[in-house]
Amino acid sequence: LIPSRSARVHPTVQTRARPIVLIFAVAVLTTTLVLSCVTVRTDMTDFLPPGHTEATRLMLRELRTGAAASLIILAVEGAPVDELARISRAMTERLAHDDAFSVVNNGDALMASDARDVLFRYRYLLSDPTPFSVAALHQDLERLLAGLRSSASPLVARFGLADPTGAFLTVARQWSGSADVRSVDGVWFAPDRDRALIVARTRAGTVDLEGQERIDLAIRQAFTAAEPGGARLVASGPAVFARDAAVAMRGDVTLLSILSSVLLAGLLLWRFRSAWIVLVVGIPVMLGIAAAALIVQILFGFVHGVAIGFGVTTLGVTLDYPVLLVGHRKRGEAPPATVRRIGQAFALAVISAALGLTGMLFTGFPGLAQLGCFSAIGILVAAAVTRFALPRVIASAELAPVATVSIDNLERLEQVRHGRVWAAALCVAATVYLLVFGGPRWSRDLTALSPVPARTLALDAELRRELGAPDTGLIGLVRGDSPEAVLRQEESLLPTLDALRVQGAIAGAELAARFLPSTTTQRARQAALPDPATLSAALREAAEGMPYRAGAFQPFVDDVGASRTLAPLTPTSIKTGLIAARLAPLLFSWNDQWYGLIAPDDPRQPDRFADALRGAGAASVNIADELNMIVADHTALAWRWYALGLVAALLLIAAALRAPGRVAAVGVALAAAQLFTVTILTLLGTALSLIHIVSLQFVAGVGLDYALFFARRQLDQEERARTLWTLLTCNAMTVLTFGVLIFCRTPVLRQIGATVVIGAVAALIFAFLFAGPLPARAGKTA
Amino acid sequence: MAGSSPPPGPVPIAELMRGLASVAESRAAFTEVKSLSALTVPLTSSGTLYYRRPSYFEKDTMTPAQERLVVDGSRLTLIEGSDSPRVIELGSEPALRAVIDAIRGTLSGDATLLSRSYRLDVAGGLGSWQLTLTPIEAPVAALVRQVVVQGNGTAVRAVRTIQANGDESRMTLAP
Repeated sequence: LIPSRSARVHPTVQTRARPIVLIFAVAVLTTTLVLSCVTVRTDMTDFLPPGHTEATRLMLRELRTGAAASLIILAVEGAPVDELARISRAMTERLAHDDAFSVVNNGDALMASDARDVLFRYRYLLSDPTPFSVAALHQDLERLLAGLRSSASPLVARFGLADPTGAFLTVARQWSGSADVRSVDGVWFAPDRDRALIVARTRAGTVDLEGQERIDLAIRQAFTAAEPGGARLVASGPAVFARDAAVAMRGDVTLLSILSSVLLAGLLLWRFRSAWIVLVVGIPVMLGIAAAALIVQILFGFVHGVAIGFGVTTLGVTLDYPVLLVGHRKRGEAPPATVRRIGQAFALAVISAALGLTGMLFTGFPGLAQLGCFSAIGILVAAAVTRFALPRVIASAELAPVATVSIDNLERLEQVRHGRVWAAALCVAATVYLLVFGGPRWSRDLTALSPVPARTLALDAELRRELGAPDTGLIGLVRGDSPEAVLRQEESLLPTLDALRVQGAIAGAELAARFLPSTTTQRARQAALPDPATLSAALREAAEGMPYRAGAFQPFVDDVGASRTLAPLTPTSIKTGLIAARLAPLLFSWNDQWYGLIAPDDPRQPDRFADALRGAGAASVNIADELNMIVADHTALAWRWYALGLVAALLLIAAALRAPGRVAAVGVALAAAQLFTVTILTLLGTALSLIHIVSLQFVAGVGLDYALFFARRQLDQEERARTLWTLLTCNAMTVLTFGVLIFCRTPVLRQIGATVVIGAVAALIFAFLFAGPLPARAGKTA
Repeated sequence: MAGSSPPPGPVPIAELMRGLASVAESRAAFTEVKSLSALTVPLTSSGTLYYRRPSYFEKDTMTPAQERLVVDGSRLTLIEGSDSPRVIELGSEPALRAVIDAIRGTLSGDATLLSRSYRLDVAGGLGSWQLTLTPIEAPVAALVRQVVVQGNGTAVRAVRTIQANGDESRMTLAP
């Protein structure tokens, strides 16, 4: 396999290469323009199916805009406690004025605002009823007196005289949400280390990467503006993850695309001895990507980042198209002659590959439908560009391979095909292995697709635990016609939830009714409040023997009196931003219904929580399970459509070739490569997910190229040598570009790289063995 | 020093502060009388005060209930009876810090610290002086209207604190 050194580049090549430069420039411009115009979304939920039941649809809404999705936890550490508290305050102050956040709380933010006045006014409607009996008041007044004696008396006098029962303290604790978190002077701290915690909620609709990057920038700026000195900032939450993943992936992709471009260019230069070939190879794939992105944008209204990522992967097959054309050109040949020799195989390879991909359109998986559409359009357009635009250009630049396999080597190599029995035996062995061991392992976990590193997820879990923030995995749901109906149902659940906590099944639960009682309850409390005369009399009696001045508790008596006629606080009457923001994730309307969310804190026995809720007439959803189920269902569907796509491709080939032997040869080569790849992956312990469908589809695409080109009829030795050498070049290109993916940080990309490299090598070997004609035995030829 | 004849007119602040700054450590028994508008009778408590240069201050109340207040640097700890301690970082509570500094600044003779938050007026001679601290800024004034410290020479004898609502605390110290 030694390239001949005799071939020289044509001296006038530069002037004739002008069309190549021109078309290449047009391709670059078009692609840049299209990619900058399309709307790219990166939210995983846009990739997922819409959900068939109301519960799953609601759950997906939750994932997009709900309590968990909008939550960002910020932690500041690495400095003395009072310094951390100062930074926490400064950051909270600044972020609270940023429109991107609906609420920013570091412990006392809620209580340091006008929200405090509202909660103070409503304290006797929002807190558990106190009997206001003489005995109870007597105890309260004694406690108050002790407080007035203490060094904290100025603070006690400020609130205590208007609220001797301490109702406001209870209300404040419930509304600030994290009652169990360690609070250093009103600023939240992790329980077992000096780490200040801030909770921020992003406004709904910031699911796009651009919005997330803006939020990330705002957080960093707030930290810098707080003059942190040696303190460190740790941030966690979906917005932060998305950005981190994007940055890591961008870093990977930039480095790897430079590396693989260099390798690819080196290979092409060595093979074709012309710099123009590098440009020629780039033209169809770029125009293919541009057309695919444009069509997907028109059909779907946006392009998902995952569809672009995987789609470009699948379109890697189109890098082969110009190589197939140039590789089969004889030096000096006119364009139609080359096309005539490879036209049928090329057209079949392209159309069957595109047909194989269209199966994904029917999986009911928006992401996969996009991906199928993207890949099929891209392949067809790239092929059309190769077939109709490139031949003339290539001929005018006089591009052709500089060397082929020598005829002797070719014949010796083709003798290897007599060993195809052994290859067949290997395939049978692989089938038996898969059957005996229950087939390949299937991944049911959505995180297999997530680009977020496991380390980042662990940090998020740690911060949520320290803050007592609810986990995202398990939620309870209550539904009603009105907020009142939802709150009343939740109130009836409170004893059940308390029992679960006492029994240790959960550490607590966040729900709206815990801090906002239903109107019915508020009215009942109002009705139980004593009138001013009765209360004054009770106070006089309770204060018997204590040195309180007459009228000392007039603010208290006045406030209780005013509480009797207050209009109850309801979600719709709440105007104060911070209070509304606190409530919104837990009580919201959607599709003309009101929903209440019950988020358990540290559900140690999730089954008991779920059972108890179901028993009480509420629903419970395990988000992770539910999501994985959706993914598993649709992944199974995707596998079926992938298999059907292959069958359709083979039927098309059968119809076009009308030669059962050759069709069988192509089919066997294709099936063997797929089987072999799946077996190797299973042997390596890989669980197959959507990523592998995409990669195997790519392998099928290049496999079809290989098999159809080997299976062409009536070829002379020279052409056979050209084909072998060209397909080796194509294969080397694939191995080089996907091989480098194995070295990157993003797990998804590593998986694609490994699968494609294994598959492409297998596809070439099996295509060579099975699809090419069997030569006469070496001894018998003259 | 208390016995020497005082110069005529009020004692210069610098001189008073120099004298106070020379005290490295002091301990005194205190009696505190609080007159609160909500109560008909004054509340009396007593215990010991301990101060060590430059920023340690401890108030141990014995009667009528046990209470311990410690200010060490920027951290305030309050322990009432058998309750768990309440810790306040003064760095993040500037107004409260200013109130605490009125006492600590006087004990340590730190005029710079005092004049950051208060207008200072001195009356009397070195032998028997009275220092009146009036808050400059509103956040501090919301907590305290005036602090009046009386002393003989380098010893503080009485601290009177008037709250914004008129409530008053008068603490007298005996060595």
